[in-house]
Amino acid sequence: MSELEKDLMVEVDGVSMMFNLGIEKGFSIKQWFTEIGKRRQKREEKKKNEFWALRDVSFKIRKGQVYGFVGANGAGKSTLLKIVAGVIKPTKGTVRTWGNICPMIELGAGFDPQLTARENIYLDGAIMGYSKEFIDSKFEEIVEFSELRDFLDVPVQNFSSGMTARLAFSIATVVDPEILIVDEILSVGDIAFQEKSQKKMMSMITGGTTVLFVSHSAEQVKRICDRVVWLDHGKVVKEGGKEVCDEYFAFCTAK
Amino acid sequence: MMTVMAIVFSNIFRISTPGVSYLAYLMTGLTLFNYYSEASNLAMSSVVANFGLINKVYMPKYIFPLSKCLFVGINFLLTLIPLYAVILLTGTGLCWQHILLPYAYLCLFIFTVGMGFLLSTIAVFLRDMFYIYGIVITIWTYLTPIMYDINMIGNKTLAFLMKFNPLYQYVNFAREIILYHRTPTPWMFAGCAVSALGIFVIGALVFRKKQDKFIYYI
Repeated sequence: MSELEKDLMVEVDGVSMMFNLGIEKGFSIKQWFTEIGKRRQKREEKKKNEFWALRDVSFKIRKGQVYGFVGANGAGKSTLLKIVAGVIKPTKGTVRTWGNICPMIELGAGFDPQLTARENIYLDGAIMGYSKEFIDSKFEEIVEFSELRDFLDVPVQNFSSGMTARLAFSIATVVDPEILIVDEILSVGDIAFQEKSQKKMMSMITGGTTVLFVSHSAEQVKRICDRVVWLDHGKVVKEGGKEVCDEYFAFCTAK
Repeated sequence: MMTVMAIVFSNIFRISTPGVSYLAYLMTGLTLFNYYSEASNLAMSSVVANFGLINKVYMPKYIFPLSKCLFVGINFLLTLIPLYAVILLTGTGLCWQHILLPYAYLCLFIFTVGMGFLLSTIAVFLRDMFYIYGIVITIWTYLTPIMYDINMIGNKTLAFLMKFNPLYQYVNFAREIILYHRTPTPWMFAGCAVSALGIFVIGALVFRKKQDKFIYYI
């Protein structure tokens, strides 16, 4: 490994991701029998329904770099982050990561609405791969940050959506990850909490963490990221410094 | 349920198991079979039901079928209480070989986990598997000598073929101990282990090979 390769954190090499949008139409044995004569037609239909969320995307992220991803809805940003996080495997290409990852993609995915906040902290923590001892030691910190001490024994289904989001954010950010994946979650809770969560995120980001960041806010991307990737219809349009961000927004307003 | 079955089969069909209590005979088979049918059913739907989670967070997918098998396992341990009540009340009695019973339970568990892997994978790709499997389970109930004795089958080839049913192996192993107070033969030990590990390996391999494709199909 050369000197340059040594501080590599994430390597995405030729990643393509194909979804089959029409697939749920025909997968039961009953249909398989009734449509036995229409096979050829089906196969052609299937080809038509192929949707490439990502096409041949490659980049390398070094230690401490903050990568921003911009692009229109459906450009493949979230898919890309999910692939890096290991939630889905790419159809083609490889992703390699070095170091532990904290994916903040879908916060609160592991919540069970019938359990109390206290139980959900442990449940969500376990789903994100933290040990019980680790959560025990960080429990106070989570409660403190979410400001939900009075509601610890209330089932989460009785929470407001803002409160749920606050709890989820507090659990997710309690670790010190080497790679942080953020998908537009800086806007949770009320104004005071937003500021607090932004501050927390910034301290995580400036603390030398490698970050993959998706946002639609121009200022945020420009302020936080040192490298920007512009994605459109699954392809990388441009990769570079902050000027890519300006170009993207110029492109958007021109439309 | 068990009472109804006991009354129907012993009085109406006049099935009798020479030398041992029919109730104990039925219960031994039913506890094992009920565990299998409940656990495999839940395990089959586990991956599809938890798709919301699979799509959002990374976690090893084998957790879902495995946790269902463990969860039903706790229910199974509770059904051992009525089983032992029947054993004592019918005068079947205990013997030292009962310490060998966990071997049969363990084999059944491994077999069920293997089937859980296999079924949950199939269920992702073929959604009407749920209905088909309901029928399969019913057929399986009648093909496994739970309510009758395998020696009652006149046709020798059929009886021979039925012995290849893995569930028969575990039920037979448990009966040998509980009802007849005999130590199972080495062949029975081997039959349990081979069927359990065989299905487990097949299930685990299929699951491993296909788990990355789940995401496309849900």
